[in-house]
Amino acid sequence: MMSDIIPFSEFFTNPIFSIATIACMLMCFASSLIGVITFVSRRSLIGETLAHATYPGVALALTIGGLFAKNFEAVFPLAILVGAFVGGFIGLKAMLYLEEKLSINSDTALCFVLSVSLGLGVLLASRLQFSNPVWYQKLQMLLYGQAATMLFYHVILYAVLSLLVVFAIVFLFPGMKISYFDPDFASRMGVSQKWIGYTTKILFVLAVVIGLRSTGVVLLSGMLIAPAVAARQFSKTLKEMFVWSAIFGTVSGFLGNYLSVQAGVLLRESYPSLKAGLPTGPLILIVAAFIAFISLLLSRERGFIPRLYRIYKFQRKCLLENILKELYKKEGSLSLKKVRKLYHLSRLKAYLLVWMLERQGIWQKKGRSLELTEKGYKKAERVVRLHRLWEVYLFDYLGIDAANVHQSAEEMEHILTPELEKELTRLLRNPKRDPHNQIIPGEGVTV
Amino acid sequence: MSNHSYWGVEFFSFFKIFFHQMFLLLTGKASLGSLTSDEIQILMLAMLGISCAIVGSFLILKRMAMVANSLSHTVLVGIVVALVVMRALLGDSYSAFHVDMKVLFIASLLSSLLTAYLTDFLYRVLRLQKDASTGLVFTTLFAVGIILVTLFTKNAHIGAEVIMGNIDMLHSDDLKMGFYLLVMNLSLLLLFFKEYLITSFDPQFGKLSRFSNRFFTYLLLFQTSATVIGAFRAVGVVLVLALLVLPVLTARLLTHRLYKMIILASAVSLLSALVGVALARHILSVYNIALSTGGVVVMTQFGFWGIALIFSPSKGALTRLLTRRRLKAKLATC
Amino acid sequence: MEDEITVRSLTVNYDKKPVLWDINLDIPRGSLVGIIGPNGAGKSTLMKAMIGLLPPLSGEVRFFGKSFASHRKEIAYIAQKNAIDWDFPITVFEVILMGAYGRLGLCKRAGKKEKEEALQVLEKIGMRELADRQISSLSGGQQQRLFVGRALLQDADVFFLDEPFVGIDMATEKFLIEMFKELTRKGKTIFVVHHDLNTVEAYFDWVILLNMRLVSSGPTANVFHGVNLMHAYGQKGQILEEALEMTRMKREGALHDV
Repeated sequence: MMSDIIPFSEFFTNPIFSIATIACMLMCFASSLIGVITFVSRRSLIGETLAHATYPGVALALTIGGLFAKNFEAVFPLAILVGAFVGGFIGLKAMLYLEEKLSINSDTALCFVLSVSLGLGVLLASRLQFSNPVWYQKLQMLLYGQAATMLFYHVILYAVLSLLVVFAIVFLFPGMKISYFDPDFASRMGVSQKWIGYTTKILFVLAVVIGLRSTGVVLLSGMLIAPAVAARQFSKTLKEMFVWSAIFGTVSGFLGNYLSVQAGVLLRESYPSLKAGLPTGPLILIVAAFIAFISLLLSRERGFIPRLYRIYKFQRKCLLENILKELYKKEGSLSLKKVRKLYHLSRLKAYLLVWMLERQGIWQKKGRSLELTEKGYKKAERVVRLHRLWEVYLFDYLGIDAANVHQSAEEMEHILTPELEKELTRLLRNPKRDPHNQIIPGEGVTV
Repeated sequence: MSNHSYWGVEFFSFFKIFFHQMFLLLTGKASLGSLTSDEIQILMLAMLGISCAIVGSFLILKRMAMVANSLSHTVLVGIVVALVVMRALLGDSYSAFHVDMKVLFIASLLSSLLTAYLTDFLYRVLRLQKDASTGLVFTTLFAVGIILVTLFTKNAHIGAEVIMGNIDMLHSDDLKMGFYLLVMNLSLLLLFFKEYLITSFDPQFGKLSRFSNRFFTYLLLFQTSATVIGAFRAVGVVLVLALLVLPVLTARLLTHRLYKMIILASAVSLLSALVGVALARHILSVYNIALSTGGVVVMTQFGFWGIALIFSPSKGALTRLLTRRRLKAKLATC
Repeated sequence: MEDEITVRSLTVNYDKKPVLWDINLDIPRGSLVGIIGPNGAGKSTLMKAMIGLLPPLSGEVRFFGKSFASHRKEIAYIAQKNAIDWDFPITVFEVILMGAYGRLGLCKRAGKKEKEEALQVLEKIGMRELADRQISSLSGGQQQRLFVGRALLQDADVFFLDEPFVGIDMATEKFLIEMFKELTRKGKTIFVVHHDLNTVEAYFDWVILLNMRLVSSGPTANVFHGVNLMHAYGQKGQILEEALEMTRMKREGALHDV
């Protein structure tokens, strides 16, 4: 059965698969780009409403077209496109009207437009169902997407639309960067807020229209969100976000198709109705959501798990430095037992600690106790220095109660960077004694 | 067919016949089983309308309307899981579309908990902004739901039915469910009115007054899921959103007292149901055009909203026009 | 101390920035306290942390020997105005009545007694005729009086007000400060975040000077003078800010970009 799996290359060479696959990839590419804009402007749910707004637009287009009959079939996809675009655009306008003229908050406005659009759409669709059942089916496909039945001209069409999106974004990019992060600055710079807003609106609608065919109305909003979410985890700038989002989106588009077909192949026996595979739209979204979720968990900078790891590392550093301080104060050697007791370490942990520090050359074993090496001594000295410098800062400079400074210094000694240390030394004029009159070790900066 | 009494009648006679039938029902002269499908639709929509007016009011005030949309999607997952569970327990004979009380309860509990928990997890633990958290959760769950539906019911096209429901397939048993929902929502409203008020208006103050914002939010979410699932047979999962939102917005235009708003919203809902079903029946029987009753009802609600917008004492176009005229007159006499 | 509100080692991070650090306070009952400091000094945060609206990183607050949760009487908090949805379908009377909700507890409805009291409060704040108005039609001064009225109905023994005098007319300000003084004479303790240094000595008998850290806390005459003000409003805390920011990052496992 495994040999039935369709080889990878076929997805690009065999028209049975390639058309749907490439078209989907293009569409996901475009929506993931727009998704960055909606994400950054915190309007991630607008896709949901606009996607539903296209529904009555298309239904109306088909109904009107039906009145002209005859050669309508030929311009079918164009009619759908136009209908969707008009529907989406009106939906967007309606939303803004509700928010601005009627002071309805955006959450409610979104819901309002969504439900009215859907109601209207369902109404028109039911009419279509009896007058033109074939077209009704096509309309219903919009709900879930019907990637598998796309044709070559779809690929061209969506390639062109995607290109439009890219151009628009590249063109608007500088204005966008400023606009979204600082609207005041933008208007001061004379960047046309209104114009950017206008084009962005068209882009929103365009993305929705483009994405309809692959994932369908209901899941489109997911495709606007998931790639952007994943991209955020790896980007420091807006530009990077666009790039990552496009990558994730396109990959999801591919994998969705891939898995859909392969699943069909593998499940053919137990689910004969699935010979065309699992529905593509949902699969694309699940892949994209999976990528988003993994990114949230694992991305180096902002991921959940790396953060946990860094917290753990920091806590270990604090522990080590505290032990070093102890050794420093006790003038050199400390028995292993005492170390264990002071810091409540298990035998295993203590051994690991000792072994680690020995390797780093911080201390060495002398019989049953530990002794600082010169390297270790220097390190300990620095920690103590930071502690006492901080105490001087709090007590002498900021005038804080003596009772509280020690506690804070216990924390800060592990945190102060060399830069901050330099600044402190300079600010406090290279103090030699702390508030408890202990010597501050180490060299200061010459004032 | 039992539609005889409404078939081909004049539009306004519809109401005469309907109220006569209701009177018979109330005085015990007619039984539930003798109701025509139109009457069942109206009654169902009426009960749902009141439930939705109650729940919807607070959803909108708490700016959680889109969460309701979220729930209406994830409900699909809830139903599928519940169906699978029921089937596993009761065997293959359990029909795929019979949604009874137990399934309703399990499904609504599951969906609301899952949605709320996942959204919260993304927002609080993984530090994702709120709108993206909401959006990501429900679209993903919905996608999973579709896949599950495809696998378990071996039919990839069930989707449309679930989305739009089939109001013409309602049975008098469904009325019972609508009734229980109504009772639940009404009781919770009467019991917790001030708690809902305080947690919607000023959650900080609510916290200070030692009410749990969390508890009441989750309770509202549960109510929403239950109502959404209950409504899915009547108007389909997605049209419930209109029921939740439109009448409330209409009522808000007409009053600034909360309890009046809820009552008015219920009234608008009732009226829309009556007019909508009558209209749909009229168009079908007289002009021979079959329209989705759900769609007609929603558009009727929209129509009422439009009317309210014109006549609203605070925001209405009429008021503004009159005010402007008055102002002009005043200036003219200066 | 049974007769004091005490704060110990209160440290708060708010929305990723360190805002309050190691605050220690002992406030005697019946004081009218002014909380003073530059912008971003953590004044609002202090209040919110004291009543549990913001979770502290560390530290403890006690109201006359008890924690906030076990403090039987009510505590009133009047936030800065922007937090409210003025379009909410609620009337002036209904907002005042809310003050009684905490006392009533779960499920009980506000009865005749509470409604009577609410009317009395309306009388006291001079807004009786506005009882049935929706709240968006109120002026700035009236809005402030509304929420003070609600706090009055709570019959609280501690009040927290965040910049109550911003954007209101002189008459209302005079009215409010008179009311606060009267309340403290009755044994209530009132905290006010205040922005106008000119009126501090006239209004408050106790002052807390804040700039992320506690600069000083004590009777107005002792605390409110040049040296302390310089400490509070001067730029000295920059290294502290940087260091605290680093602490926060380490605690949250954030990646430090060098």
